[in-house]
Amino acid sequence: MTELVVSNVQKWLGGLQILKGASFTAQRGSIVALLGASGSGKTTLLRCVAGLEQPEIGQIVIGGKTVLDGERKLALPPEQRNIGLVFQSYALWPHRTVRENVGYGLKLRGVTQADIEKRVQAILERMGLGHLADRFPSQLSGGQQQRVAICRALVYEPRVLLLDEPLSNLDAKLREEARYWIRKLILDLEICAILVTHDQSEALAAADNILLLQDGRIVQQGGPQEIYSNPNSFYSADFLGANNIVKAKVKTIDGKAAIIGGDDWSLDGTVREAGGLAAAEDARAVIRVEQIRVSDQPEAGSLEMTLDDSIYLGDRWEYRLRRGDFVAKAHGARQLSSGRVWARVPPESVWVFSAGQR
Amino acid sequence: MSTHAQAPAALDLSKAAAEKKYPARMPRHGNAGLYRRIVIGLLALAVLAPVGLIVYQSFLTAAFFSPRAQFGLDAYKYVFTDRNFYKALATTAIFSFGMVAIAVPLGGLLAFLITRTDIKGKRLLEILVLVPMFISSIVLAFGYTVSVGPTGFVSLFIRGILGFVPWNIYSLPGMILIAGLSHVPHVYLYVSSAMRNLPSDLEEAARTTGASIWQVSRDVTLPMVLPALIFAAALNILLGFETFGIPLVLGDPNGIMVLTTYIYKLTTLFGTPTYQLMAVVAVVLILITLPLVWMQRKLLRNTRKYAAMGGKGARVATLKLGTSGQVIALSIIGFWLFVSVVLPIGGIAVRAFVDAWGEGVNLWDQLTFSNFDRMLEVPSLVRGIINTVLLSVVGGAAAVGIYLMVGLAGHRNWGLSNTVLDYIVLLPRALPGLVIGLAFFWVFLFVPLLTPLRPTLVSLFIAYVVVGLSYGLRLLQGTLIQVAPELEESARTTGATIGRTWKDVVIPIVRPGLAGAWALIMIIFLREYATGVYLMGAGTEVIGSLMVSLLQTGAMNTIAALSLISIVLTGAGLALALRLGAKIHD
Repeated sequence: MTELVVSNVQKWLGGLQILKGASFTAQRGSIVALLGASGSGKTTLLRCVAGLEQPEIGQIVIGGKTVLDGERKLALPPEQRNIGLVFQSYALWPHRTVRENVGYGLKLRGVTQADIEKRVQAILERMGLGHLADRFPSQLSGGQQQRVAICRALVYEPRVLLLDEPLSNLDAKLREEARYWIRKLILDLEICAILVTHDQSEALAAADNILLLQDGRIVQQGGPQEIYSNPNSFYSADFLGANNIVKAKVKTIDGKAAIIGGDDWSLDGTVREAGGLAAAEDARAVIRVEQIRVSDQPEAGSLEMTLDDSIYLGDRWEYRLRRGDFVAKAHGARQLSSGRVWARVPPESVWVFSAGQR
Repeated sequence: MSTHAQAPAALDLSKAAAEKKYPARMPRHGNAGLYRRIVIGLLALAVLAPVGLIVYQSFLTAAFFSPRAQFGLDAYKYVFTDRNFYKALATTAIFSFGMVAIAVPLGGLLAFLITRTDIKGKRLLEILVLVPMFISSIVLAFGYTVSVGPTGFVSLFIRGILGFVPWNIYSLPGMILIAGLSHVPHVYLYVSSAMRNLPSDLEEAARTTGASIWQVSRDVTLPMVLPALIFAAALNILLGFETFGIPLVLGDPNGIMVLTTYIYKLTTLFGTPTYQLMAVVAVVLILITLPLVWMQRKLLRNTRKYAAMGGKGARVATLKLGTSGQVIALSIIGFWLFVSVVLPIGGIAVRAFVDAWGEGVNLWDQLTFSNFDRMLEVPSLVRGIINTVLLSVVGGAAAVGIYLMVGLAGHRNWGLSNTVLDYIVLLPRALPGLVIGLAFFWVFLFVPLLTPLRPTLVSLFIAYVVVGLSYGLRLLQGTLIQVAPELEESARTTGATIGRTWKDVVIPIVRPGLAGAWALIMIIFLREYATGVYLMGAGTEVIGSLMVSLLQTGAMNTIAALSLISIVLTGAGLALALRLGAKIHD
């Protein structure tokens, strides 16, 4: 069931357009991630959905109710949108206990005191916070505060749960746990969630659908695997994953297949540029680090390169490779001695884009 | 990629220009727009009505309620041809600039010693330095009269030794010196906060290259706090133009008049109230002070910009003074404290308990409580004390409530009503308390609906709220702005209307700040003396204004007793403010 429809939302701030027509939908029981670099407009888009910012143009429908309509000059305030928002800073009210923080939304909705008690206790127990109900936010750890913030936004069963970088204030280990249980919780409760993040691994691990934003526009959207392995632009390809960016010239081109090369090297690749490429054009290639296999034995179809160094990273080794002006990083399981090595790159993993900024 | 860096930027620029024609803003629903407009509108009425009445009155030929009153410029003609007016104007200007010439260097020096050096007893000094600011200037002026006036305790003592008194405080230089010393805290306040924001590594860098403390202060510190010093100077010129107590007590006996005392004297000059003439002088005064306030506002913005460059968390290391440095620094501050706190307050404390003194009289033999005993027999004095306490304690709390309502109306507000609020708040700062009191006196005479309120404390309370408006609102706005926006936004997204958000989140969080603001407003109302001069009547006496009218009769015993009570009350208020954690340094 579609809970959220955002269509053609545009927003200006002091003469500068910061949202340039964002449209997407979100379903119940799924998570949509708004992914982008800082300044891409992802938080502004979320705040427009929440009603904390007022876009000039566009339409937003939450749970069948139109909350924003640019043409009719209709903009409902946040409290009439039936949403839950989890802030990056958690924004727990310092003068209220955990119980009062979580119960506030129910109190506002006229739920009886006994019912509030029951429902607050139930959701706190579920999150493993039952014993902290009478504490104040300042007496909790960061992870606990974050869970209280989620409880507070969920307890009154909003139609859409909005999460603004909810994990960015947690340390790395806690973060990995949190993105797993947040996903599980949302799927269990069958709610519709929008997650804003600048962390690609968070988006890939937690979301069902990822919207990649650049400069106020949604440049690509799709499932995590789709968006990771099938980027439609240089920006998408470069934003996700760990990449080698190679500047080269297109040598020959045959439909999608291209041969690119530079100073004393050439590689088979696949054209990914939407507008196509012509021979002799300047190009940029994106090669995911994990797609390069390095061997100290010559192999058919592999490129002979110079290994400058092997760097120990704990769980693997990183190789620093070079041939002419082609410089690359790759990973492997063991240390290789510096000198001549052979790198294998599948042509479908060499994504060739135009060098110009189109 | 670097070769492309230029082109897209240029492209974006032209694109931004093309997109400049953006659609109209969406209306903000549920933002308490109606509440904001009503509160700001009422406030505008409360501030503009008295000012409007003054301007209106200045263009009449008689008092506005007189049947003979007609439009005309007679009042302007009279004032602008009166030699006394020009004398008062010139005296006011000399007085203000002279005061600045004393207060700014001294205030800057105290700020430097207390914030940037390792002077001893810093925490105590920080509070002591501000004391003169909290005492009403009429009390201070009276204190100087009884200690260093022609027949003051100290003057008599000196005369006993030298055979003559080497000073005369009943003169323009005397007035300037005393006003300058008592306005040092106003300078200290701004300059010390600017100095706290200076990163001290700049000073340390200069020290390591071999500059002495004094060279560093002159070449590094001084230029960097210059904007704050200029702001403090502008503020003091404004305060100089508005001052009333010191010229009334010290200048009046020798016929030295400034604009405020000129207004006050116009009544006695003609025997009947000449409202139109008073209004003209008030208009002139406003025309001088309003640009000063406006200039200050611009300066303050620049100062903030300047201070922001220091960056947050600037580490403040203190300069080491050394033993002789400590002695010199403490002597400077000690001498200033002696002259501007101990002399007047000590004088009042002694004077309140003696009845007769003079050459050869042993004060110990004259100790008496009779000043206070006699005071209790006069009902108006007893009422004055009760009213003052009522107005400051209860009225102060109510005023904080009003400032809170105004503060909320302007809290995260956009658009026209916010601009209106910004300018409305400026206006009372340009009005001396005497003029505000006079204007409200007229408003309560002029508006039939309000006339029954005039003989009650309500009239004084409303005038006091306007007098304290800019200070009180700044206190409240400073507190409100500390509530993180997400705390309010999270209440909104949880389902609370803006009113509920204020009630359940904003106000509970700022409550400690409200208590501190209450204590500070209480002190402001306690020390107020000029506002009530015209507004008070039988039954609505307040201490400060009683002292002004008693000065005319020369009832020094009573004034001394009232002064002491005023000081004790102010001290209690200050202790309460510190106890409640009020930020007296803001």
